[in-house]
Amino acid sequence: MSLEQYRDVWAYCVKEDDHITRPSREILAAARKVADQLEQDVVAVLVGYGLNGAVDDAIAHGADKVVYADEPWLKSYQCLPYTRVICEMVEKLKPYAFLFVADELGRDLSPRVAYRLNTGLATDNINLAVEDYYYGPTNTTYKKIIAQIRPDFATRVAKIYTPRHRPQIASIRPGNFDPLPPDPTRRGQKIRFTPQPHEEDFVVQVLEETPVPKSTVDLEGAQVVVSLGLGILRDGRGNPRNPREGYELGSKLVELIREKLGVKAELGATRALIYAELKELEGLITSERQVGQTGKTVAPEVYIAVGISGSVQHRVGMIRSKKIVAINNDPQAPIFQLAHYGVKADLYEVLPKMIEYLEKR
Amino acid sequence: MLIVCLLKGVPAKTTQVVTVSGVLKREEMELVLNPHDVKVLEAAYYVKRTMGGKIVGISMGPEPKIAPIMNDLYQPVEESRFVPHVSYEGLDERIILSDRKMAGADTWATSYTLACGIKRYLENHHRAVDMLLESVKTKPAQEAYADAEKLYSENMLPNYIFSKLPTLRNSLMARYLAGEVGKEEVVSELERHKQALNKFIILAGMKTSDGETGNTGPQTAEALSQMLGRLVPSIAFVKDFEISPETGHVIAVRKVGGVIQKLRTTLPCLLTIEAHYEPRVPSASYQKTVRANRYAGKMKKTLVWDAEYIGADPQKIGFAGSPTIVGPGYEIGKPPTQKFVGETLVFKKDFEKFEWNGKSYGPFKRGDNVNNLPEELVKKLKEEQAVGVFTLEDLFEEVLGGLKVVARAV
Repeated sequence: MSLEQYRDVWAYCVKEDDHITRPSREILAAARKVADQLEQDVVAVLVGYGLNGAVDDAIAHGADKVVYADEPWLKSYQCLPYTRVICEMVEKLKPYAFLFVADELGRDLSPRVAYRLNTGLATDNINLAVEDYYYGPTNTTYKKIIAQIRPDFATRVAKIYTPRHRPQIASIRPGNFDPLPPDPTRRGQKIRFTPQPHEEDFVVQVLEETPVPKSTVDLEGAQVVVSLGLGILRDGRGNPRNPREGYELGSKLVELIREKLGVKAELGATRALIYAELKELEGLITSERQVGQTGKTVAPEVYIAVGISGSVQHRVGMIRSKKIVAINNDPQAPIFQLAHYGVKADLYEVLPKMIEYLEKR
Repeated sequence: MLIVCLLKGVPAKTTQVVTVSGVLKREEMELVLNPHDVKVLEAAYYVKRTMGGKIVGISMGPEPKIAPIMNDLYQPVEESRFVPHVSYEGLDERIILSDRKMAGADTWATSYTLACGIKRYLENHHRAVDMLLESVKTKPAQEAYADAEKLYSENMLPNYIFSKLPTLRNSLMARYLAGEVGKEEVVSELERHKQALNKFIILAGMKTSDGETGNTGPQTAEALSQMLGRLVPSIAFVKDFEISPETGHVIAVRKVGGVIQKLRTTLPCLLTIEAHYEPRVPSASYQKTVRANRYAGKMKKTLVWDAEYIGADPQKIGFAGSPTIVGPGYEIGKPPTQKFVGETLVFKKDFEKFEWNGKSYGPFKRGDNVNNLPEELVKKLKEEQAVGVFTLEDLFEEVLGGLKVVARAV
């Protein structure tokens, strides 16, 4: 099978009510980015039951085609039946690249799919590019393949290539691409697959499914994120402060931004602050507010880092913010290297001034 | 019951990471147990206490680096540089898959290699039972008993088939030797045991602290499915699970795609264990069965298996067998311009292009950084209050003043 026969960039989308999830829309945008450079189509892949609304939503969000399997026995997500259906689709239609969302479902499904298709999987990417890649050991240049860009575990990002296998499979971290503005007038081709169930795939049975209560915290959708770090434990002179004070200043700021500027704002926090499990912040700063590698990835208009030193793990969660403001009284804090605006001062003096500024508006 | 733990050595400190053109040079760094694997060991110990059997830890990596980790997994160690504290009794057996040819593997090649190792481990147990079957069929009872004793001492037979424990005097082979059971019965019991060997469980961490992919668990299940010709299901991110000594079913709870799923599966299966997992308390009512299903005990020596021993295709392991290639890395760039409150000099108003001392400057916008202007000119502009130090007020104005309600696609 020649590699040239593989075409189109697929995105595995997940249905939510009568549409697709936000991260699904993000990977459609990611697929659009590389497909346009490759002059190929974007294909949304949907597996489940009751998919009509989701199929239309995928087209409105940038899919040229939708390949889908809509069967009652596919209603609940299950690794083995889904893997089989998706592999059958791939074997028949031969995509050039295939994107998944790097969330729990994507991480459960994409590894098995990639292994069964005997191809590579680049996990947790934050960006994609189309490049020619020269590979020294075989003295070969692979034309127009996908550079799958992921955070490296030191201070860098690394590019992963799958030059000799197709499809090139990549999972994308949520929060790194903006969904395309929906266009309900877009037309797309709908290709329905009618797979047959295989009994052995149902060795795992779903006994119960309970919806996860929806979080009221929408970090990814916020235009301004004010994040707190362990710096709130001390003031500029190094005297201990009740972190509750820092929390209240941060919350007040978020509230005023919402009220006075009319934009969506949320309070975030670093992993260090959340895992410190401070008594004073119990129930106030929970893991749903975590920004960083093991938390949420955010890309707001303005990111205000309050008392955050700026570890690599935190960086990957906020580096795409348009304007980064760092407030920290340690002038050596690494956060100042990536901040657009730096305030090397006591946050317990800066935040009240910021609040005062907003109150006057 | 065979309880297989997939373990990994990860760099002790991220600062120690050594790479050569993108490929990790594990042999040049000190490795410790992947912190997520602690949950794997706790889960394995829960299964062993509930079902009996034995726990084997399998890890792929350079032997000199993995051996110190494996040594400290033989039994709980108070202060270990390589293994964090775990509440368990240690591992019964430890196997390192180590071979130059395995180096540079991505998750596909790693999973293939681990699956080859697990397959070999299963085969060794099947072979042991086959040997015993053969000797029961062809040799006098006394000789077959002696063969069973040898296999038992190698940890290859559970107590109910052969045992030296005073509480388990009525093992299958003891009854056979005493003439209490016939040859046919022993043969069919051993055949049943062979089938039961296929009811294993594999436990893996949700991810490793270095690669952070979480791919190896599910991919090992898929690789093993292909090798064994039967599906080994994988369930990722298990927060809680229960295994039933009566039915051998596993009931697992995990979060996926916006729902909490409660799943039931038969054995064999692979679970990846999530960071919040806490082991259940094993039921006390099956302690007799648990004891009968246990093995002689822990083997002190860590085994080292190479690619040939596990029957791995050299084309499918290590760098050669990896579909992905890690290209060059690069630093996450600095933002183009930075302003520091109380430090940075900025323009306080807009300027059209202007002439000064025969040279032209500008245009400048309010808020632009003052860079590369002659000192004299800066002094003059300062006096006119056209440039000044960036203030908190400037910051608020610039950052928050320009914010409008921007419709974002949600």
